[in-house]
Amino acid sequence: MTNSKLTARNVDVFYGQKKAINNVSIEIDNGIVTAFIGPSGCGKSTFLRSLNRMNDTIADARVTGEILLDGEDIYAAAMDPVALRARVGMVFQKPNPFPKSIYENIAYGPRIHGLAPAKADLDGIIESSLTKAGLWDEVKDRLNEPGTALSGGQQQRLCIARAIAVSPEVILMDEPCSALDPIATARIEELIDELKESFAIVIVTHSMQQAARVSQRTAFFHLGNLVEYGDTSQIFTTPREEKTKDYITGRYG
Amino acid sequence: MSNASLSAARDGNAPLGNARWQTPEALRRISRRNAAERRFKLIGLGAIVLSLAFLALLLVIMLKNGLGGLDWSFLSGSDSTDPDIAGVWGAAKGSLLTMAVTLLLSFPMGVLAAIYLEEFAPRSRWIEWVEVSINNLAAVPSIIFGLLGLAVFINTLGMPRSSPLVGGLTLALMTMPVIVISGRNAIKAVPPSIRDAALAIGASKMQTVFHHVLPLALPGILTGTIIGMARALGETAPLLMIGMRAFVVTPPGGITDPSSVLPMQIFLWSDEIDTGFVQNTSAAIIVLLVFLLAMNGLAIYLRNKFEVRW
Amino acid sequence: MILTGVLLAVLGLGLVGWFAARGRARLLHTGRGSIHSMPGYHAWHVALWIVFPALIAWGAWQAIMPGLVDGAVMADPVAAQLPADAMSRAAILSEAKSIADNPDAVAFNPLANTLAGPVRDAHGRFGLIGALLVAIVAVAGGGWAFTRIRANFPARTRVERGVLGLLLVASLMAILTTFGIVASLVFEAGMFFKDVSPIDFLTGLHWSPGSARGDNLGDSFGAVPLFWGTIYIGAIIAMIVAIPLGLMSAIYLTQYATPTIRKWLKPMLEILAGIPTVVYGYFAALTVAPIFRDFAASLGMANPSTESALAAGVVMGVMIIPFVSSMADDALAAVPRAMSDGSLALGATKSETIKKVLLPAALPGIVAGVMLAISRAIGETMIVVMAAGAAANLSANPFASMTTVTYQIVQMLTGDQEFNSPKTLSAFALGLVLFIVTLILNIIALRVVKRFREAYE
Repeated sequence: MTNSKLTARNVDVFYGQKKAINNVSIEIDNGIVTAFIGPSGCGKSTFLRSLNRMNDTIADARVTGEILLDGEDIYAAAMDPVALRARVGMVFQKPNPFPKSIYENIAYGPRIHGLAPAKADLDGIIESSLTKAGLWDEVKDRLNEPGTALSGGQQQRLCIARAIAVSPEVILMDEPCSALDPIATARIEELIDELKESFAIVIVTHSMQQAARVSQRTAFFHLGNLVEYGDTSQIFTTPREEKTKDYITGRYG
Repeated sequence: MSNASLSAARDGNAPLGNARWQTPEALRRISRRNAAERRFKLIGLGAIVLSLAFLALLLVIMLKNGLGGLDWSFLSGSDSTDPDIAGVWGAAKGSLLTMAVTLLLSFPMGVLAAIYLEEFAPRSRWIEWVEVSINNLAAVPSIIFGLLGLAVFINTLGMPRSSPLVGGLTLALMTMPVIVISGRNAIKAVPPSIRDAALAIGASKMQTVFHHVLPLALPGILTGTIIGMARALGETAPLLMIGMRAFVVTPPGGITDPSSVLPMQIFLWSDEIDTGFVQNTSAAIIVLLVFLLAMNGLAIYLRNKFEVRW
Repeated sequence: MILTGVLLAVLGLGLVGWFAARGRARLLHTGRGSIHSMPGYHAWHVALWIVFPALIAWGAWQAIMPGLVDGAVMADPVAAQLPADAMSRAAILSEAKSIADNPDAVAFNPLANTLAGPVRDAHGRFGLIGALLVAIVAVAGGGWAFTRIRANFPARTRVERGVLGLLLVASLMAILTTFGIVASLVFEAGMFFKDVSPIDFLTGLHWSPGSARGDNLGDSFGAVPLFWGTIYIGAIIAMIVAIPLGLMSAIYLTQYATPTIRKWLKPMLEILAGIPTVVYGYFAALTVAPIFRDFAASLGMANPSTESALAAGVVMGVMIIPFVSSMADDALAAVPRAMSDGSLALGATKSETIKKVLLPAALPGIVAGVMLAISRAIGETMIVVMAAGAAANLSANPFASMTTVTYQIVQMLTGDQEFNSPKTLSAFALGLVLFIVTLILNIIALRVVKRFREAYE
């Protein structure tokens, strides 16, 4: 418990009148990968987006309950969503590089947050982020080419590098491999495994195999409820709940 | 915090985690950025308010100058050199006749063309040319249509100058592309499942289009038509070219009589030196704007009432 | 009205044919599968065969009738008194025709009065022949179609083929219009360029058609001051007003306004686009221009003119705001949400996201929108006619009176000039330039928009 990075208590998420997440409580730890799994429409992505207040950008979305980052309520009035999102980064389902050069894609975050006062600092951040994302060797000679010219898998790693560049504490990943081919997926999964040393990682995934491969903890969502949460090995071998078992064994999904 | 140091910003003794965002410098930076955010939003609101203020000023000035001149004799009279006698009915009737010609020509033509292009046209170079020309015609300056009307209808075909017939023809050519474009969008919006359903019970392609697709697309087409007609009603420049600036003391009796139209009457009066015409001009503008408002209101009503979101 | 009379008669015949054919076809319809096409289609088949041939015959008759009438009148003994030269002969003849149409008209030439009788007679006679011809064609067409009503006659296919032809003709109208515009502009401008060399026209600095005479026409038809005035008012002053206001309005409406506020503000802003240009022109001349004139005077300018490029340009800019705003709106909406999500998730504020991600991504769409806005502004006529002035000034002073291409087109074609003078023809040359420039702007802009949309699909 002492290692807990993010804590959610009795969280409900509404879209207008519709309740998308029902009374979810969960603790997410540092230094490991936590996977959210469940059938589509179960609310796992919705819940993920409420962890860095990306739901704020949807006009009629509303979050109740408490979400704590290092013990601080992220929905408190004193919490600036801008500073929050710098601490809790996000990678999206489809790679979404900005229509700018590779260099500018990464430099964007550090620049707006004033993390790199000098050009040399910025260059350093860009090299270290791209290295961490395993992309440096592939792109170091063409940093000025547009990010959109990269392959899908490279684009997604660029987006991960972009998230790393502002040195977040948590990285949220919303089905980061769903638009990629198996080889690119394997590459991203390796990367996630390396990155967990430095960040708390939460990954939403559609694929149970992926969850089993990359995560240490797994949470199973169904119809907006958190059905079961535990060590990945336990969830996949001896699920406590009937519903989890049904899902894992492929009865529905 | 056991996270390995990662980037330059976290090297050395730079604070980690939340503390990084709590340094006085970081807090100042955030509040500066939030102030910029508020400023930007305010500029956006200011831009709209400024534009609308201009609109309000225009309307207030027209109302102030013109309301006093709106009485029955103004609404029923025709043009005159005496501002006290001059009225707007002659021009309004000219507008009505012109619009009737425009509507009768551009609506059927526009709808039929839209149906052809959307439902029947083969993919060919010819059809591409038609599409390119429609898109361009919709953006050609209206005065060019006036030059066309002058050269073709009056000088070549010898139709009567200043008449609602020529005015209506000219404006119909201008309005047709608008109707074609909105018609195509409305037809495109009818889902293919409707067509499949009709074809599957043995309706011919033509029957499918006229019995099912067209009725469903009609509200959209009508909305586009009204908007196009409203534009034509306010148009002055092309009519200036074909000489619809006649000084008409009696309302035109038919579509071949010399006549004026509302916007032209406004233009002619605005040029008068007698200050009495300032009131007349503004009053005529009010009449024109009321017509336009009614037409646009009707278009919005139709859109809200009948438009189906598929 | 002969026109409406014939039209009604033909339509009436069509209606009769429609009912007759339906009645006949119904008799054939004895049950499922007994008839190829439903009775309604047989009805339409007959009606179309009555109406279309009749209308075509009538149109053809209208085209040849004036010649026949003229011939008949010339053959009349009274015509022998006509003067020999063709010009006055034609004048008297046309006068006689207008008297024949309208007995109250006052004859300028006594001969016209005596000629009016024969003209009226000829009109009546040939009109009657025409009506008979139309009737015969209608009956023949309808009769032929009527005899074809049989159980196995594919009336539906025939009617549908006819309708398809009609649809095709309607869609070809657009090409015909474009062709008409190009042909008439090129033809008339060609006549103008016989007198004035295109090079003098496009590069000359001096525009004074009023003083144009003799063989130095080129010196009076230098259109550069007009081009400059058009660009200065439409592409510079108007855009300085319209781009920031339109763009910021679009940003506010799409990114900040709540749905309710948007629902109210957007239509209100669009009212600006629906106001007729003549109203803007009057407003510019009545209210805005005097304000700028007084302002110029307070700056110490001697004799500032009421008509100023600034007044016309500013009002035009306001008119264009909703246009720029809706183009920018589309461009911003076309940028995928993922793009701004990516920026927001990094902790960028909304305005940072807009300025650094959204706007650059939407830039091609916005630029295309601005190009369309410019093309609209330079073709705008009434505002400049009423507020910009007639003086062809090559000046950068916004308070100066300036003239534009559209203003001069209006100037050259209103008033009493003979049609084929270089002065009136110059309007078509100006129109040609305007058409080409707006066409290029539109084509480029539409290409850019299309490619931009595809990039994000």
